Amino acid sequence: MQEAIIPNGGVPSRLRAFLLPWRAARITPLTELTQAARLVPPAAMVATQLALTYWLWHALYAGVRVSAGLDVAQATTYAMLGVLYQQFSTVDRWSNGDTMVQLMTEGTIAFWFLRPVSARRYYLIRAVGDIAYGGGLALVAYLACLGIGAIALPPSWPAAGAALITLVFGLAITYYLHLVLDLICFWSTVNDAAITAVQFATGLLSGAFAPLWFFPGWFRHVSAFLPFQTTLNVPLSLYVGRLPASALGIQLAVQAAWTAGFALFTWWLWRRAAARVTVLGG
Amino acid sequence: MAQGTGRQVVRQVRGFFAAWRLVLRITAANLGGRLQYRGDFLTVLAMGLAWQTSVFVFVAVILTRFPGLGGWSASDVLLILAIRLLAHGVVVTVFNSLLLTPYIAQQGLIDFYLVRPMPVYRQVLLYQFPLNAMGDCFAAIVLFAVAITRLRLHWTPATVVYLAAAVTGGALLEGAVLTMVSILTFRRTIGMSVFMWFDRMIGTFGNYPFSILPLAARAALTYVFPVAFVAYLPAAVLTGRIASTGVPAWLAYASPAAGPLLYVGARYAWHRALRRYESGSG
Amino acid sequence: MPMPAGTIVAENLTKVYRTVVRKPGAAGAVKALIRPDHTDKVAVGGVSLSVAQGELLALLGPNGAGKSTTIKMLCGILTPTAGTVEVNGIVPYRDRIANARRIGVVFGQRTQLWRDLPARTSLEVLRDIYGLTSADFSARIREFNRILELEEFWETRSRQLSLGQRVRCDLAAALLHDPPVVFLDEPTIGMDVVVKEQVREFLRDQVQRRGRSVLLTTHDMTEVARLAERVALIDHGRLVYDGKTAGLHDLAGVTWRVHVTVDGRPGATDVPGMRMTRAEGERLTFVPHQSADLTPRDAVRRLIEHLPVTDIRVEEPDLEDVVRAAFGAGR
Repeated sequence: MQEAIIPNGGVPSRLRAFLLPWRAARITPLTELTQAARLVPPAAMVATQLALTYWLWHALYAGVRVSAGLDVAQATTYAMLGVLYQQFSTVDRWSNGDTMVQLMTEGTIAFWFLRPVSARRYYLIRAVGDIAYGGGLALVAYLACLGIGAIALPPSWPAAGAALITLVFGLAITYYLHLVLDLICFWSTVNDAAITAVQFATGLLSGAFAPLWFFPGWFRHVSAFLPFQTTLNVPLSLYVGRLPASALGIQLAVQAAWTAGFALFTWWLWRRAAARVTVLGG
Repeated sequence: MAQGTGRQVVRQVRGFFAAWRLVLRITAANLGGRLQYRGDFLTVLAMGLAWQTSVFVFVAVILTRFPGLGGWSASDVLLILAIRLLAHGVVVTVFNSLLLTPYIAQQGLIDFYLVRPMPVYRQVLLYQFPLNAMGDCFAAIVLFAVAITRLRLHWTPATVVYLAAAVTGGALLEGAVLTMVSILTFRRTIGMSVFMWFDRMIGTFGNYPFSILPLAARAALTYVFPVAFVAYLPAAVLTGRIASTGVPAWLAYASPAAGPLLYVGARYAWHRALRRYESGSG
Repeated sequence: MPMPAGTIVAENLTKVYRTVVRKPGAAGAVKALIRPDHTDKVAVGGVSLSVAQGELLALLGPNGAGKSTTIKMLCGILTPTAGTVEVNGIVPYRDRIANARRIGVVFGQRTQLWRDLPARTSLEVLRDIYGLTSADFSARIREFNRILELEEFWETRSRQLSLGQRVRCDLAAALLHDPPVVFLDEPTIGMDVVVKEQVREFLRDQVQRRGRSVLLTTHDMTEVARLAERVALIDHGRLVYDGKTAGLHDLAGVTWRVHVTVDGRPGATDVPGMRMTRAEGERLTFVPHQSADLTPRDAVRRLIEHLPVTDIRVEEPDLEDVVRAAFGAGR
């Protein structure tokens, strides 16, 4: 047997082993940005959607000044930011074969358990990359809308700060909601119909379709007990000033409770999922 | 001589009915196939309803809080929505499989279709039982019923016929768009996303009176992308608001004809594309 | 105690699946919901095998034999119902991360590359996941490039790669982090002869020159014959044979034979240790006696000594026949 030509690097230092895998976060953004032509249709769709939202809400408010505690600027800003959220909260993982449903049906999920990064950590890395990418695009759109005066700035610095903090927690809760849905794939083949139905439920209950303030009281009471409205409704309400900045304390407490609850639940669920990996094929 | 033509006519009529019986038989078989997956059946049904949630939300929640939209009363806006949803229900029932063209082609089924004694287009339409249409149609009928009760229309036979023509025309217009999508996905052109975006535009702008839009957008959506012809113009005719549309009266009255015209064109293009496929350049 | 790198030890591996028995019809469907009947399906029943450092073991078996289930238990993807397994001295399903650093896996029908990324980028991402330095990465790619010719499709998106190119890339991906143990689940399935040979050459190189231990599942008899000195046969979840490839012949009772053409009619056709099985004029066929410990070379020499041989040919039995006979013998 010949002497090894290449020195065996051995096990990398702990810091390297922890930090380097985070570069995998760039997979989805890299895929999208290297095929720039693919960005054009979604950009066109977003622009169309935003324009319609703007005109629609201005037309609705032609006859009234305030409705459900929101004036035209607030309602329009809320609705348009809701459109941005809906568009950019999910990125295209399907063409890379990276959605959980695809990974399960094709069996490539096996590789997640064969790498020196745990499946849970890898999922988080990819999700952070996707959120950062979607968020970056949303930020560009946001600044553009701000620039042309279609949406308003927050009424005060505390309001802006409150909106930002609750947004971060809201994103965490969104991450956990997607994670739960993805983890269910380990137990049953979830079909697209169920996923779409859930997406619509979350869209409705988070305020992405229409500001939650317009909904009847009983609806708002029910959604107050669900995590969805903490993801979008709370940050946006703080942003447009419908909720005073002083409400930050209690809203943050609610979000923190949901985040902690989900963190524990998904930690437990991952353990069960990992034990259950039955990859197809005999 | 007369006997010969008489026999020909009889044969053609018989052939027509036989073709329809065949269509029904195939549909029944497709349905049976779909029913085997019981869970899937129910979730797709639910999903179809969920898709329309955004419309119901808008109607039930938003519209009731505001005096009107773009000069149209709430119940008149309801008519636009009802026509559009009914047309959409027909489209999803009849034309839905056109969206699956690339999948059908990938499976090599087009070659099988070409050697069967049935028009290829029809076989593509019959590829799958349109399960999601059931939810859409149900939602459309409910909304239509609500619209009828709220509307103060002068119901005459002419009105009913015009309404039916409007729904058919809208369905054929969307069908024309889907037929074009089918051609482009067949040949894997980037143009497909443009037409998908257009189909989405019908789904968003087509629901509302155009008086909410600035002049440029109104013109674009009437003369460049014929979205206005789907539901807005026929509804304007029925509610007597032709003057406010800014469109010549004859054009508004003739709006249901736009769909059939475009559909014929799209069908012709589809068959040309099929010829090219047959000649080997596919 | 130093870890026994490059070894695979499996003892009495068992995997039992519990499935619901559903009777047909509406009544059966209801019963399945309320009080379902269970049945146990034994996918793998008590398989024990071991691979030493620098060895290549081929795991052979028909579809549904339990090959893939076995290899998945060895990788740590599946947890065995019973039995123990240690790879590189680590229990795979328990210490996943540590195990992942010391094994490489190739699944013939699945790829771990990202469909829309160029091959280069997929490997770079894996480099980051494994924590390799750029220097090590470049060195390793250079080494793999020699035989696998990765340059050919370095910038192509993996969805556009041909099957052969994709598996070559998956091989590079599996060995990037220099693992002492490699698992391959039907790596050359569906490939043409040229690429198969390329892959085999690469594996041989890795085993002989770099001393890696390889466990390979396959259908392909030529692969076994050309690559593996040791082969394990698995059928219905049980090991039917585990030993030298050459020894398969003994098990199956199928053996090599010698065809000779003699000049004229021979007088005596008694050759010590050989038995004549066929005679067609001048063409005779001999097989070695069951008890005789004869190599083909010795047989040839003896035949030449005893008979006026004008032409002689040794026929190795088709591994396919051997395997078929072995499965028959094992049932």
